[in-house]
Amino acid sequence: MSRPLKIRDIGERDQEVLSPVRLEDLPPLPAPYDKLEEQPQWKELSPGAQERMVCNLDGVVALSLPQPQTEEEKQAYVDRFEAGLKKLVSRNDNWTFLKPLMLTADYCMACQTCNEACPVYAMSGHNDVYRPTYRAEVLRRLVRKYTRPGGKLLARVRGEDIDLNWATITRLYELAYRCTMCRRCAQVCPIGLDNGLVTHELRKLFSQELGWAPSELHDKGTMLQLQVGSSTGMSPEVLKDNVEFIDEDISEQTGLDAHTPLDVEGADVLLIHNAGEMLAWPENPGAFAIILNAAGIDWTLSTDEVGYDGVNYGLFYDDIQLARIALRHAETARKLRVNKIVMGECGHEHKSLITIADRVLTGDLAVHRESFLTLLERIVFSGKIAFDPSKNDFPVTLHDPCNIVRNLGIVEPQRRILRFLCPQFREMTPHGVDNYCCGGGSGFAIMSPNNFTDWRVSVSGRMKFKQILDAFADQPGPEVKKYVCAPCSNCKGQIRDMLDYYGALERSGITYGGLAELIVNAMVDVKEPYIQWEMH
Amino acid sequence: MSGSLLLFLSYGLLAIFVVAFVVRCVGIARLPVHLRWELAPVPKDSTRGKYGGSYLEEYEWWTKPRKESLSGELAVMGREIFLMKALWDHNRRLWWWSLAFHAGLYLLIAATGLLALGGILSAAGVAGAGAALFGTGLPWVAGAGCVLGGVGTLGLVASRLLRPDLRVMSSRVAYANLLLTLAVFATGAVAVLAAPDFGDRIASYGGALLTADAGAALPAAVAVHVVVALVFLAYLPFSEMMHFAAKFFTYHQVRWDDQPLEAGSRLEREVQALMRQPVTWAAPHVGADGVKTWADLAKREAKP
Repeated sequence: MSRPLKIRDIGERDQEVLSPVRLEDLPPLPAPYDKLEEQPQWKELSPGAQERMVCNLDGVVALSLPQPQTEEEKQAYVDRFEAGLKKLVSRNDNWTFLKPLMLTADYCMACQTCNEACPVYAMSGHNDVYRPTYRAEVLRRLVRKYTRPGGKLLARVRGEDIDLNWATITRLYELAYRCTMCRRCAQVCPIGLDNGLVTHELRKLFSQELGWAPSELHDKGTMLQLQVGSSTGMSPEVLKDNVEFIDEDISEQTGLDAHTPLDVEGADVLLIHNAGEMLAWPENPGAFAIILNAAGIDWTLSTDEVGYDGVNYGLFYDDIQLARIALRHAETARKLRVNKIVMGECGHEHKSLITIADRVLTGDLAVHRESFLTLLERIVFSGKIAFDPSKNDFPVTLHDPCNIVRNLGIVEPQRRILRFLCPQFREMTPHGVDNYCCGGGSGFAIMSPNNFTDWRVSVSGRMKFKQILDAFADQPGPEVKKYVCAPCSNCKGQIRDMLDYYGALERSGITYGGLAELIVNAMVDVKEPYIQWEMH
Repeated sequence: MSGSLLLFLSYGLLAIFVVAFVVRCVGIARLPVHLRWELAPVPKDSTRGKYGGSYLEEYEWWTKPRKESLSGELAVMGREIFLMKALWDHNRRLWWWSLAFHAGLYLLIAATGLLALGGILSAAGVAGAGAALFGTGLPWVAGAGCVLGGVGTLGLVASRLLRPDLRVMSSRVAYANLLLTLAVFATGAVAVLAAPDFGDRIASYGGALLTADAGAALPAAVAVHVVVALVFLAYLPFSEMMHFAAKFFTYHQVRWDDQPLEAGSRLEREVQALMRQPVTWAAPHVGADGVKTWADLAKREAKP
């Protein structure tokens, strides 16, 4: 950085990269990952790609926004952004988050206390553009100037003038996807404001007014889920095939009953997995089947479209899409007349269905909902399954998914299980509600366009990778196999990508997985190790 | 400054403060109920709040009574308001100045409290106690507040000027707010030093306000302080400095609001009314036309 970045800079020189992020500026990782020359080099964007796509924030392109052909086209988008800004502060269009948004917009004292709490800012080498306060202050000034009476005059008087133009909106769009919405910044704000919410609201404005959203979250995410049944593209028929395959495979591997009941009306538990587990980590739904069957739980999976995929990417960028998917989840439970929905190992499923959608699931859609963690804790300590913790006698650390821990306050059940079943369990520092995001939050884990994977592994995930290495610092070599327990599908995806990127299984003996797998691995009745020491 | 002009100014500025303060607070309170957006730790959970746990840690939490404690919330708010704990933990360099600044303000508020107490004692015929409060207590409390607050304000101004991370985020109005507050502290300190009977003078001004007595005049130094303090007060509700009131809403109604929806509750009726509002978002996938309601759009089939 040649000079500190000013708020006004966001609207100037729209073809220039505003604040480049450079590998050499990033804080070093612990050994053996501390040598810059040994780290993977970032993918170069070709000149052609830079001409086709907007690339004016930090040299990273997460969103592949095409360059408009004409100035009129640019101005039309700017006008739509201004219209969206007004809707963002209106009671009709944005009642869902208006109160926390207006509080955050109006009362910031610019004390900058939140900046160091942000792992992206801290691990970028303090790149100004990643400060939680930067995008928030841009939005605050835009709201004051363009939505309030006398705003333009007051902006000048207050010394807070800002231009709303193509550079501003395109940089803001990319910048809305440089924050994982982990809300660590909100936790430390002395006034209780929430700059993570600013990210959420900006994404919403872009999606709900301009129709701009990452294709991974929208076209291949919520739209695909609503049209086909799952953001993986898995239709109900394919789901049935996959479940059958997993049941057979896991039953054969363990010798235990891994049968998954489908569409059982009146069951006590409707389990909704993140459908990505079926494809990427089938051992996880397989482990659930073993545990629930062994404990005698009356449970079922649904084969209703949407009802078998707990993913709800609407949480990350679009309230309407969020509500549509949450309603479908609740309708599935109502149709099956189950007692409750239990969330699988997916953090954002927890947040979207247990708390965020809580106030839109009114009337008979208000189905009881709880975390898998409380159910698993009850089972593990019920005495219905025999465990031998010595089978888990290897170093284990726990990643706290933000959406389960910081946002829902579910902190201890998973720890009680790990302390009981894993003799070498150790915490990361910090942990619990003070945890750091995996770096793949808010949808990043499934976004890999252009050079974005390099960024989310090297920058947004850097703090987590460092935490993992630090947790195992007493046995750093590859000869000791170590396990990162990440009870969340998106977090697992991000951690997998980080371990892969740095070759951490080979160099440090670190692999990862869910909580259910550790439980099955410790079951006396499971003769062969359930956990495979390989990248998967 | 004549007594009548001072009285006129005082009533006007106080009226602006009261009306603007109430309008601003009511404005926040009347914002529609929002979707749940709590953030751990929620200290009102009396059993788990300390480590950040919530009632969602309970198996079938809806079957269990929720144990809530006001004392947990008050303890956190007390540490935040009087000790600036978040700054202590996460922005230590600013904490020293901010603590002094806020302590100065609190002492000035305490001095106003003493003024009121003295007035009540005098009215109750306990003249000796009232006089002691005015004559000795009030100048000391106000003087200490002005010195502490002044030092804190100067420190905050210097921090904004010298720390690059603060400087780039500090607009003209941020400095103006601090300078206005500095003026309150500075004129207060001058008034305490210049008027040996500061406490009595302020007390008589307070009495004049209550009785609309235009005959009570103040020494110039005290009058200047009173006017500056009232200008500050009148400006306060229009500025970010209203965060002291906003904090109630950010903590109690957002961060710590983990109230689940219950069938037939007022909350449910409020939300159902909000979902009947028309929506105008323009992106095609939303499908809004200004007539369809939020509920209509949520139920809309996404299939082509």
